[in-house]
Amino acid sequence: MLLLVPTLLGMSVFIFLMLRLLPGDVVDLMTAGQEQATDESKRKLREAFGLADPLPLQYIKWLLGLLRGDPGKSLRSGQPISEALGQALPITLELTLLAVLLATTLAIPLGVLSASRRDSKADFGGRVAGLIGLSIPSFWLATLTLLFTSVVFSWVPPVSWVSPTTDPLGNLEQMLLPAAALAVQLMAIEMRMTRTTMLEVLGQDYVRTARAKGATEQLVTYRHALRNALIPVISVIGFQIGTLMGGSAIIEVIFGLNGIGATLIQAIFNRDYPMVQAAALFLATVFVVINTSVDLLYGYLDPRIKHA
Amino acid sequence: MSPDERFLMRRGLTRRTWLLRAGLLAGSGLLAACAPAAPAAPTQAPAAAPTQPPAAKPTAAPTTAPAVAATTAPAAKPTTALAAAPTTAPATGGKKGGKITWALEQDPVHLIPYGAVPTANMWGKEFMYDSVIAWDRNLAIQPALATEWSAPDDHTYVFKLRQGVKFHDGSEVTAEDVKWGIEAQADPPAPGIKTQYPAKITTIDAVDKYTVRINMSGPDPSVIGYFAWQRYTPVTPRGIYDKINVLTQGIGTGPYKLVEFVPNDRVVYTRNPDFWNKDLPYLDEITLKVLPDEQARVAALRSAAIDGATFTADVAKTMANDRNLTVLKGLYAAHKEIQFVLKDPKNPWSNVKVRQAINHAINRQDIIDKVFGGDASYSSIIPPGYGDWPLPEADLKGNYLKYDVDKAKGLLQEAGFGSGFEMELQSINPPRYITQAAEVVSEHLKAVGIKANVVPLEIGTFAKNNADGSYPGAQLTARGMRGDPNGYVTEFHPKTPIFATWFEGGFLNEELTKTLDDALLTPDQAKRKALYTRAQQILLTEFPHIPLVQDMKYQVVRSRLKNMYVSYTDFNTGLRESWVEA
Repeated sequence: MLLLVPTLLGMSVFIFLMLRLLPGDVVDLMTAGQEQATDESKRKLREAFGLADPLPLQYIKWLLGLLRGDPGKSLRSGQPISEALGQALPITLELTLLAVLLATTLAIPLGVLSASRRDSKADFGGRVAGLIGLSIPSFWLATLTLLFTSVVFSWVPPVSWVSPTTDPLGNLEQMLLPAAALAVQLMAIEMRMTRTTMLEVLGQDYVRTARAKGATEQLVTYRHALRNALIPVISVIGFQIGTLMGGSAIIEVIFGLNGIGATLIQAIFNRDYPMVQAAALFLATVFVVINTSVDLLYGYLDPRIKHA
Repeated sequence: MSPDERFLMRRGLTRRTWLLRAGLLAGSGLLAACAPAAPAAPTQAPAAAPTQPPAAKPTAAPTTAPAVAATTAPAAKPTTALAAAPTTAPATGGKKGGKITWALEQDPVHLIPYGAVPTANMWGKEFMYDSVIAWDRNLAIQPALATEWSAPDDHTYVFKLRQGVKFHDGSEVTAEDVKWGIEAQADPPAPGIKTQYPAKITTIDAVDKYTVRINMSGPDPSVIGYFAWQRYTPVTPRGIYDKINVLTQGIGTGPYKLVEFVPNDRVVYTRNPDFWNKDLPYLDEITLKVLPDEQARVAALRSAAIDGATFTADVAKTMANDRNLTVLKGLYAAHKEIQFVLKDPKNPWSNVKVRQAINHAINRQDIIDKVFGGDASYSSIIPPGYGDWPLPEADLKGNYLKYDVDKAKGLLQEAGFGSGFEMELQSINPPRYITQAAEVVSEHLKAVGIKANVVPLEIGTFAKNNADGSYPGAQLTARGMRGDPNGYVTEFHPKTPIFATWFEGGFLNEELTKTLDDALLTPDQAKRKALYTRAQQILLTEFPHIPLVQDMKYQVVRSRLKNMYVSYTDFNTGLRESWVEA
């Protein structure tokens, strides 16, 4: 738990430096193709953006700003970054949670089915589907889904974002497809994980004992086996939430959703340093925090795991 | 010149080839009409709208548009769409009402009125602003907020404003507002940056409530083109920076009023019922939606979630058979060229014969066929479609840009590089087609013994190399729109900032410098044309840069959307006059 602080600090240095290793800065981009732009005007812009300071000073200024809760302003749009990320966060969060929800509600029953009817046709089908799901890149699936629904149903999700609080149905209509595209891979992972751990658990002594005392197969499967099999599955889901939040970037771009990932990608192309730093650090923080929470949850779910 | 920013700013997910329409320009930025069927004369222009730079004949002579148009346009291309919908010919009699959604392939980033660099900024803001004058679809200059303009002498311009025009906030447009705006353009607050502002403007006077006088230190006929370029010269209420957050809001006089701008997502406009041109606008609402992914735009268009967008040539052609869709195409200002840095005499390409050899070794038709699906033109230093300023295509094909391998080999021999040499050819990537063009060029050069290694670079890196001249060889890049032909040759003049980076000490042509100086002192358009012709002839002999081709821009719209056309300027200006049919 205490490792959180040095981890994040190291992360911030890394993000800060990585970005500045890329050739070209925002001023180069802004003045590209402008034959009339003078060195003087470029210098003034760099000073205005704080890019003229030595790197360590820039870093310290940024860090102090962060500690005050102010990640600065976008160099390209001038928009306060907290505001930009504030608009983007709910979209990414909803997308991620919806994807996890979709994946989990389908994957766990399927995994259980697959395990309890091992080597049946259903099991075989489930395993093949799982492999396919694992192998399909989500951006490919997203593009294909869009083209498919547009050609076959003459329908695509509405392009303008509506908040779930103002129009829950409209929001769902918009988010379901991207969430599904994002969910497929996670679903495959969860299903295979559930199947594997279920198989393991079903071979345990206490399951045999439960059966021996006359518990129904259903009771054995859900009460005795599944509960114990779920622990590793939950940890996988936890880790995946962090991955999904960053990994949803391409899905966001394809579906025209202005989430954190899409914002980050654009900021990188624009060399919008403070925006990239804030978005990347935010995602890194989410990842670290979720992983830590999963560790804690793990101990809670399985008291045998002690925390130092 | 350096890569046009629109390529640099482009986010990586789309490649576009574009297209379109042949406008023509003539005059100092005054482009005369040419396209078939397009009326050359200003239709709505009140009385004396001079379409020619006023300085031509002080006071009197507002020659009407046709006179200028007479310089015609060799480049006039069929502007018809694949699906046979004419893209020119302004239609009339549109229906009022209706809403459309247009997809933008890039985020506008912000909507600041002055000093914005990204073209996408203009895409986001163009419907709410007017300048004092404007280009029509054929790049002929038309009245906008000014009803007439004149040049009492060769260093003064006077604009007479339309009376009673209201800003979207209800206040009236006065000469003080115009004066304030031009002064803001001279030193735009960040994130704006001064780029195209005419250096010779000294002071602005609000002579009376409706008269603005521009005083200059000397003649500069390119000023008129600058004021027609609404991207840089919108008229705003004075003090607009204190009234609103200009990053996401705006107050103009245009046909549509801004409702909201959500960065990286959408821009929403509603009709301005008080627009000064009572015939416009037709639509009740325009929503601009940012959709960077091209296939997502295809899907949205096919399912009617959007009404139109820009596409690459290949993708646009796949939609030509859909009865619900109309494909528009046309020339646009974005020719491709090879740029050298000529400061180090040790480099082979510092030898003019080597550059001439490279020029003649390149088979432009092959680039057009392989990279642009046969849909592109040879480009001079000034691109085709830009009025009659470029050298005629026949001249380019048969002489200046002729594909002639034997001649190329001979020139290399004379230069002492008969056995060839190795160089780097950097290209922007994405868009992919720039790099594809570089690969085709590399093949051509191989045939004469030059090993050109193609190095695709992400935009930021490319821009930095371009700006500081730090590339060991050449760059293949794209140019953009300019307000005046001078914009396409200015980097070859020693007084332009970028000259020091690219050429100082390695390239200087006295005749060229003098020709460019003279052209800016010459208000007479016919004489100017002769000077820019001469300048291009010199440049296409010395080849500090080697122009390649100009491709087409494609836009595909739902067939219910009428009167849209591909704008030569690379904006979506047609939407100002578009309507929908039920």
